[in-house]
Amino acid sequence: MMANKLTALAGTAVLALALAACGGGDEGGGEGGDGKTLNVLIAANTQYPDEFAAWQKDISTKFKAQTGAEVKFETFASANDELTKIQTSVVSGSGPDVYAVGTTFTPTAYSTGAFVKLGDEEWKKVGGKEKFTPATLGISGPDEQNQVGIPWVSRPFVMAYNTEMLQAAGIDKPATTWDELAQQAKQMTKGDQYGLAIAYKDNFDPWKFVWGMSVQAGNPLVDGKTARLQDPTVQKAYDTYFGWLTRDKVVDPAAVGWTNPQAVAAFAKGKTGYFMLTTPTAINSLEQGAVKGKWKFAVLPTVPPGATSRPTNGVEAASILSGDNLLIADYSKNKDLAFEYVKLVTDQDTQLDYYKKFGNLPANAAALQTLASDQQLAPVTEAAKKSVATPFTGAWGDIQLALTNVAVQSLPDLGKGSISTQQIDARIADAQKSAQTALDRAK
Amino acid sequence: MTTLVRPPETAAPKEPRRRGVTERQRPLWLLTPGGLLLVLIVLIPLAVALWISLIDLDQYSLRRWVEAPFIGLDNFVESFSSGLLNSIWISVSFAVLSTIATVPIGIAAALVTQNKYKGRALVRAVFLIPYVLPSFVVATVWRTMLQPDGVVNAWLSRVGIEGGLWLTGPRSYWALILVEIWAAWPFIYLMALAALQSVDNEVHEASAVDGAPWWPKLRRVILPYLRGPVLLACLLATLNHINNFTLPFVLFGAPAPEDVNVMPMLVYVTSFQSLRFGLSAAMAVLSLVLIAIPLFVYLRAVRLDVHDEGGRR
Amino acid sequence: MWAGEPIRVSERMRTGEPIRVSERMRTGEPIRVSERMRTGEPIRVSERMRTGEPICVGERMGAHEPVGGCAMSVSASAEANRLLPRWLLVVLTALLVLMVLIPVLYIVLASLNSDVGVASGEYWPSSFSLDSYTRIWTTADLSTGIVNSLIVCAFTAVASSLLGTTTAYVLVRYSFLGRLTILRGLVGLQSIPGTLMLLPVFVLFSSAGNYLGLTVIGTRWGLFVAYLTFALPFSTWVMVTYLRGLPRELEEAARTEGASTVVILWKIIFPLSLPAIVVSGIFAFLLGWNDVLFASVLTRPETHTAAVALQIFGSQQEGGALPVYSQMMAAALICAAPVVLLYLAFQRYLVGGLTAGGVK
Repeated sequence: MMANKLTALAGTAVLALALAACGGGDEGGGEGGDGKTLNVLIAANTQYPDEFAAWQKDISTKFKAQTGAEVKFETFASANDELTKIQTSVVSGSGPDVYAVGTTFTPTAYSTGAFVKLGDEEWKKVGGKEKFTPATLGISGPDEQNQVGIPWVSRPFVMAYNTEMLQAAGIDKPATTWDELAQQAKQMTKGDQYGLAIAYKDNFDPWKFVWGMSVQAGNPLVDGKTARLQDPTVQKAYDTYFGWLTRDKVVDPAAVGWTNPQAVAAFAKGKTGYFMLTTPTAINSLEQGAVKGKWKFAVLPTVPPGATSRPTNGVEAASILSGDNLLIADYSKNKDLAFEYVKLVTDQDTQLDYYKKFGNLPANAAALQTLASDQQLAPVTEAAKKSVATPFTGAWGDIQLALTNVAVQSLPDLGKGSISTQQIDARIADAQKSAQTALDRAK
Repeated sequence: MTTLVRPPETAAPKEPRRRGVTERQRPLWLLTPGGLLLVLIVLIPLAVALWISLIDLDQYSLRRWVEAPFIGLDNFVESFSSGLLNSIWISVSFAVLSTIATVPIGIAAALVTQNKYKGRALVRAVFLIPYVLPSFVVATVWRTMLQPDGVVNAWLSRVGIEGGLWLTGPRSYWALILVEIWAAWPFIYLMALAALQSVDNEVHEASAVDGAPWWPKLRRVILPYLRGPVLLACLLATLNHINNFTLPFVLFGAPAPEDVNVMPMLVYVTSFQSLRFGLSAAMAVLSLVLIAIPLFVYLRAVRLDVHDEGGRR
Repeated sequence: MWAGEPIRVSERMRTGEPIRVSERMRTGEPIRVSERMRTGEPIRVSERMRTGEPICVGERMGAHEPVGGCAMSVSASAEANRLLPRWLLVVLTALLVLMVLIPVLYIVLASLNSDVGVASGEYWPSSFSLDSYTRIWTTADLSTGIVNSLIVCAFTAVASSLLGTTTAYVLVRYSFLGRLTILRGLVGLQSIPGTLMLLPVFVLFSSAGNYLGLTVIGTRWGLFVAYLTFALPFSTWVMVTYLRGLPRELEEAARTEGASTVVILWKIIFPLSLPAIVVSGIFAFLLGWNDVLFASVLTRPETHTAAVALQIFGSQQEGGALPVYSQMMAAALICAAPVVLLYLAFQRYLVGGLTAGGVK
């Protein structure tokens, strides 16, 4: 008896699955947004929760006034969480209508084919392509014809330096080459003072250094379908990056266990010359620390380690092209509303407001222009212009992971205070292998 | 709930009771709600997962996942070259070590709270705190404590020991075990305590009459009572350790150091960072099978079907 | 109430003196089920109901401590029951309590500390402040989360323990084809990793939304159904072990009097199994309370559980700033509090309910 019921039930469920598998869903018709709800997936903001809630409310009100529809914000906790959300939505063909995703994740999202491609008409709906700072469009898609990402905000990476410590060491301006940086860091390291604050244990920082130094030396890491990780430029990059701790000894040994926020904390105490790799979002934390009023931003060095000038094929990459893009889900039943929303949040006023609240630079060209006069921000806007997009391939996520893994697996050696070239090379070889595997699978 | 008020399928006949009653009107329909749920939410998804392990599902084929190419056992072959065996070894050894370490702690805790004394309720409550704290919380707290300049190293250096790195390198393995032990021993404690309750008063009295000292009494008389329940608890605990994802994930982040690249981490990273769903499903299925074999042997060995009197007609 | 019991059963048993229940009934002496079982004298439910004798939980399990509302005699032989010498008891208890409390106290202290203080490895805060506890409610959406978690987990706990009881009842009392397989399966199901199930479960739920017109994802009851199912094997298992130890006589008697299975379950099995029901309920509650994996994809902002709210709060953003350690610890404590309270409320049952524990 029970067996029969179970079989029947299993049958029903399988049927439901099969139906689900056939994909597609009927498009909800009707004009105007009254009574409709637009779902937006966006990163949680733990730093300024009150402001973030206020901002959401503000946008909802404006959107309601414009379209009559509601906006519902859904937050994700971390990059991993975001990825999980996107995958499950893509598989099931249901979920948020608009996604705010990190720039480096855009290629992966693109490769799922689950997001609306932007033709002239779509760009027009959000206010035209020309409204954005040209550099920010660098990672919207593999080429002009296939773009999915609409730039929303940018967060170029810069470094912060302690003006007093630099002055005390007789340094009149921050370093512009990596060698110079190491030199200055040595000058500042004494007693409990260190030249650099580096977040070695961070899950995202390490690859940015390695990518930056390699690109500056003329190696974009991905060459068509070939991964170029086993390359002298990459070796030199890791060697320099680890060397700050093991050879130059300009980094607090505890940094082996630091993630980016802990490096911020260390720099904020005022005992570190440089804090590498930060963004304007850290301003608030820095202003609360002992370093208050004694620090400035500077563009990261753009001359590869071991060189005094950039080689001819080297790129002046001050930062990865960093920030958030907005993507509109292919399965969305509210695409027009989605475009309306995108238009709203990329308008000059909204963008400036967002900058003031959260320190994310506008992707809107006119809005960015109004910030040009800000002294503190000058290096950041410069870095924004000198940002270079990471390779646009669905395999980039894996490559990034492989690059980070080299650092993760090297941490124990760093903890012991030394790492050999052979060890680095072996780990790079592993990374090369998984990067190439990922590229081979890329379509 | 509806099942409870549903009228019985047949009106209970007024015939004299027979043992055979159990034979004739077994209310098997009572199994349907539970069975239904398990089939729908566990077995069907499991079947889907099995299917996924046989297809080449990645971010490129995700959207039309039913059309993803069928590649047979390729995923399984590939998982062996992707460090699966190493991960299984780490997982199993970690789980077994954690279980072994929690047993004496759990039993000791059960023994000290068996006899009544003032404040025992409080002690029992304290013992369960690690168990009721969400594992996300436990992991976050320990991660904060085990940082290179965290409180653990601060204390170690006070007694002259160089703390070093707990969250990377070979030591991360022991850190994982340490935290798992801290969080999981109350489960053994609960099961052991329950088993202690089932020791008949007569047993205590008899050994009191014999004047047996505490240790032989404990070893010969009391502990044998604990064997069955504690063994079962060990089995369940080991399974929980093996499948614990939250703890290593929050403690170490992804990618994890090689020494703690436990199976759930490998499966998670393969699935949700490398986006190789097929491969990761194959890994999970393989590990499931590998765990299931000893489990099955165990389940056959212990007589799950022991009854005092009921059941067997 | 039982204090007037003149002759201890154990004594009688030793002396071999026969114990007659009917005798006791005449004298009005309360009757313990365990005795009856040993004597094999039939017990009629109706009889009990007539006399209004309460059906107490502890009796049937021979537990030596008060359980639930039933006051029982304090064992006269506490000294004989002593398992460990006093010195060892004190030492062990102290060690274990310290082992638990040092990290727990750290959470409390850190929640009162400043972020910088926690970051620099302080155990004892250099300055105390309750700020975190007031700020956390706006920083993280804890209140919504806790309410959602309470609702979902409470329903899960009740449903899974009741469903577990009925399922276990059939498994224990009746024999049928596939019974052993189900029993083994109950343990076997524990070995399925959640990471394997996540995607298929999500697909299943969302297809229910697309094709059956049911919105499952983002609702509390969707989460409830998932948790209920995941909790069911263990709940059933707890009940199986418990029901095995429960005498059949009461049910048999009731059945003779024409009670149906449903009535038996409702009137006899449920009341008698209360301690075990509490145990399986608590485990089910904990399962739901601690889950992050499923809750993070099956919920929407308004249905986020506490664990998800906490995780969202805890995961710092790429390129973030100084972690708000003290708020993190405060949030952790706040999220743990309901479970600890729940445990305290039920702790007497918890131990008793596990008593039947396991295979012999």
